[in-house]
Amino acid sequence: MTNREMGMMFRILATLFISAIIVIGCASTEMADMETVGTAIPPGESDIEDVVVTSQKIGRSSSRRAQSVPQSLYMTAPTKDYSQADFGPLASDEELWVIAKPTFDGQADNQDTSPGTGAMLAHVPEGNIKEVPLPLKHTDVKARIDGYISTVNVRQQFHNPFDTKIEATYMFPLPEKSAVSEFLMIIGDRKIRGILREKEEAEAIYREARSQGYQASLLVQHRPNIFEQKVANIEPGESIDVDIKYFHTLAYNDGWYSFVFPTVVGPRYNPPGHSDPIIPVPHGSTGTAENSATIPYLRPDERSGHDISINVEIDAGVVIEELQSTHQIKATRSSDSKAQVRLAAQSTIPNRDFVLNFQVAGDTVKSNLMTYQDSQTGQGYFTMMLYPPMEHASFARRRMEMVFVLDCSGSMNGRPLEQAKNAVNVALDHLQEGDTFQIIRFSENSTQLGAAPLAATRENISMARRYLANLHGTGGTQMIEGIKAALDFPHDPSRLRFVSFMTDGYIGNELDIIGAVHDRIGESRIFSFGVGSSVNRYLLERMAKEGRGAVAYLGPQDSAKDIMKNFFGRISHPALTDLEINWGGMAVSDVYPAQIPDMFVGRAVVVTGKFLGAASDVSVSGYRGADRHTMAVSAAGAGEDKTQISRIWARLRIADLADRQAWQPDPHGELENSIRTTALEYQLMSDYTSFVAVDTSHQTEGEFGVTVNQAVPVPEGVRYETTVE
Amino acid sequence: MKKYLALLVLVGLWMAGAASADEHDVRFAAVDIYLDSAEPVAAWQFELSDRDGLMKVVGVEQGESPAFKRVPYYDREAVRLGEADRIIVADYSLAAVDELPSGRARIATIHLMLSGDDDADFNLQLVTATTHDGVVTDARLSHVVRTGSEQ
Repeated sequence: MTNREMGMMFRILATLFISAIIVIGCASTEMADMETVGTAIPPGESDIEDVVVTSQKIGRSSSRRAQSVPQSLYMTAPTKDYSQADFGPLASDEELWVIAKPTFDGQADNQDTSPGTGAMLAHVPEGNIKEVPLPLKHTDVKARIDGYISTVNVRQQFHNPFDTKIEATYMFPLPEKSAVSEFLMIIGDRKIRGILREKEEAEAIYREARSQGYQASLLVQHRPNIFEQKVANIEPGESIDVDIKYFHTLAYNDGWYSFVFPTVVGPRYNPPGHSDPIIPVPHGSTGTAENSATIPYLRPDERSGHDISINVEIDAGVVIEELQSTHQIKATRSSDSKAQVRLAAQSTIPNRDFVLNFQVAGDTVKSNLMTYQDSQTGQGYFTMMLYPPMEHASFARRRMEMVFVLDCSGSMNGRPLEQAKNAVNVALDHLQEGDTFQIIRFSENSTQLGAAPLAATRENISMARRYLANLHGTGGTQMIEGIKAALDFPHDPSRLRFVSFMTDGYIGNELDIIGAVHDRIGESRIFSFGVGSSVNRYLLERMAKEGRGAVAYLGPQDSAKDIMKNFFGRISHPALTDLEINWGGMAVSDVYPAQIPDMFVGRAVVVTGKFLGAASDVSVSGYRGADRHTMAVSAAGAGEDKTQISRIWARLRIADLADRQAWQPDPHGELENSIRTTALEYQLMSDYTSFVAVDTSHQTEGEFGVTVNQAVPVPEGVRYETTVE
Repeated sequence: MKKYLALLVLVGLWMAGAASADEHDVRFAAVDIYLDSAEPVAAWQFELSDRDGLMKVVGVEQGESPAFKRVPYYDREAVRLGEADRIIVADYSLAAVDELPSGRARIATIHLMLSGDDDADFNLQLVTATTHDGVVTDARLSHVVRTGSEQ
């Protein structure tokens, strides 16, 4: 008798025994609760840091200081004396502004909320805040910026605080353009490199390993900016780390490069009938299916011990004039073009995007071409950044048809909607005679100010301000209604039509929206504002791409006036439209974006593609008013060997194919297959590929234990009551 | 009577499930790769496959030498789209000669998922092993298979 036959016989006997027990009704077996158990506490007033933010300036005088500050900066002066705070030594040319949070006594609380028989953690009361034991202890981010390419390592440290074996799951965000290419599982000193496989295969391997007691980890992509980490069979008191590596290009606006690290996924609204939702649930809720994508959110009176550290090493290649961040940071400089930045200790709660902007000397930045050529195949890859002029005063203003579309759903209630209204009010100030405008609001449905766009008269603008004042945030986010209302009316050929969505983008049906924009865009341009502290940047960026426009981000503490004024000035004075590129001697193919967007003052255009032959100079031409202008791009810096460029190109190709799925029928699965093939060839995460790692050298005992879904805070400024419950 | 019928149905369903599960029955094993060289080794490359097509690679772990701290990289082409895997693994070190491993040292562990009950018939080949100055050195590869229950 073989092992398999013996196993089969044993199973049959065991089942007969169990079945008999069931039939005679002596007992029933029940699987362990698949969710972590939380004790509900009535919501109370939370103690929140009284102010958040800092600005750090690093000592070079700049002739362009008066220029606009980049979006999403929280600027607040210090209000207390923190001279005793420990931030490490400060150099004489550094300036650190700190606002700290209140301190607490930290008496032990013996109440436990563990999924097994008891937690190992005690609760530390901070006012009415209860700390709940969860497996993700820390996220460590190490980024290196080389020019405008960023390479980022993210280490997630999981620890089992319970007295029973657990599986930890965690839904987390990454930048929407990130090309995730490496994955390590780390157990003590041992590091196991994960293998990229087709998603179903990776999931099957993980399930098998988990059920047989092996420690394993799985990384799955739910959206280009939402990922799920699973770590199986973490034994009591044990830690397992996971290391993820990705690349992406930085955005460039108005002389500033932006590095963004999102820290939390905002709660999404899922329209009825949507097949692939991301479901927000209260922490401790039960009954969700294993395969559904759910994100548990901490109640206002709860917090986890999860914190974050961020270190960014910048080698800009040109002089860095200034650094600014949404968070308290500490920066040191090793040369004019290099800086090391780290998150200050008081700013480590992961509930809003970390944004680090660095301003480079304008006269040293020139449009450039970076390339990588595979030495074996000869296949070349390039990325080209086209820098626009810095000033728009000399460009003619075009007559405009402005359509403002405000998200008035529940997640926008409060500060986000207030900021959106502020921005529209500022834009109304800048409309001129000959312009027209419209205001549309949407939540469960859409309504609008006028039946057709209104002339920008004083009376109409006053009426618009009254209309704005009466808008409130409530209900779901049927963004499709806003899209239809904004794009489904005839275009006025005598004006440039700009459609400006103002939203946090907290929806689960992104592809439906991107498809709707693609189908309806016509001659319109989409210039949107992402409003809030943790915006769905994937949605906003993709809408802008389909709409040949751009996005600005408006944080809770930003000056809506400054940002809108600057933005409005830019879009009303296009620097170069209808761009065409002469690639010289390069045989170029597979360029992304396929349709080159217009160039606006202060906003760079990035073009990425493949080529054969030698890298050569390139010329870009377009219209400035009625005149045709040409700009040259030197290939002088093209010799640098940047292997990341091939993966950045592959990531863009995957994104483009995924977007096409929103509007292009694919009965034979060709788009899906192209995504899968590209992802496997370039070793990248995608909707159809996942990383899996198994430690086969150690088998834990017993069942795989309880699944604990890592609960996260709602983003700063977002109300739990209107978005989760 | 109803109870007996219910029991029979349950047993029938379970047996069908058991048979189905056995068709996809898999187990896991770690294969430690040892390199034996008289001279300190600064770079190596090997290929591992299974003649019966039973293995799937589920992880690559670094070896025991501090000179090779990184986790070795594998050739993506070897794993990609394969019904059964073969894997090519390589690494190098820039450490000083006296820090490089010599003698018998574990250079990597390949974590595998294996289908079927039979022992896998591994084919392990050394592609190359070189010294710090790039000279190919005489070295031998061997492997030890471990399963989780044997720890």
